[in-house]
Amino acid sequence: MLTKFLLPNRLKAVGWIIAIPAFILMILNLQFGFTFPFLDYEVKGLKNISFDNGFLFNIQYNNFTDEFGGVLLIIGLLLITFSKEKDEDEMISKLRLESLLWAVFINSVLIILSIILFYSELFLKIMAYNICTTLILFIIRFNLTIYFERKKINKDNL
Amino acid sequence: MKNTIRVERAILNITQADLAEKVKVSRQTINAIESNKYVPSTVLSLKISRVFQKNLEDIFILEDTD
Repeated sequence: MLTKFLLPNRLKAVGWIIAIPAFILMILNLQFGFTFPFLDYEVKGLKNISFDNGFLFNIQYNNFTDEFGGVLLIIGLLLITFSKEKDEDEMISKLRLESLLWAVFINSVLIILSIILFYSELFLKIMAYNICTTLILFIIRFNLTIYFERKKINKDNL
Repeated sequence: MKNTIRVERAILNITQADLAEKVKVSRQTINAIESNKYVPSTVLSLKISRVFQKNLEDIFILEDTD
């Protein structure tokens, strides 16, 4: 009774390799305004600047560092989240489901608290982080659970 | 639900790891089933009872609280 939509185990390592640099890049970008100059984009011969054209084909100026980092981060986290464990079986599938449930629940509680407690720019920043917090919460909780299960086994066998 | 896997294993003299390998699950799963922390699927229960060559209900026993 194994889940059908999981990726092969080796993609998990690929996920970590993508996610960690992307995560650092996003922290630098959001907290310190770091950008890659080569990702700058500007429409040539601009006469007037309008700020209300938010769609991709209308933008006049943008630096794509955050888009680049954000997409990479989500892809990386998805690969980590949905790759099989080496010993994937029905109990691990159950732990996976429980962790996902827990992560969505905790994340929703955090969003509710942020809506009540934080306003204006701080709130927008928290919403930006929120794009990937569900996946991060899931990864932390799932790996901790599995870690403790394995530790228990090793203790029992001694 | 209770089970007699630990006893049956002792009779056959096989470890948790051996049993895990025979029914193609991880050692954690067998450990969790033995300590009543995980209820196996019907398929896995049938596989386990086949290893011990017993009926399903000789190994897995319903309790009043179930």
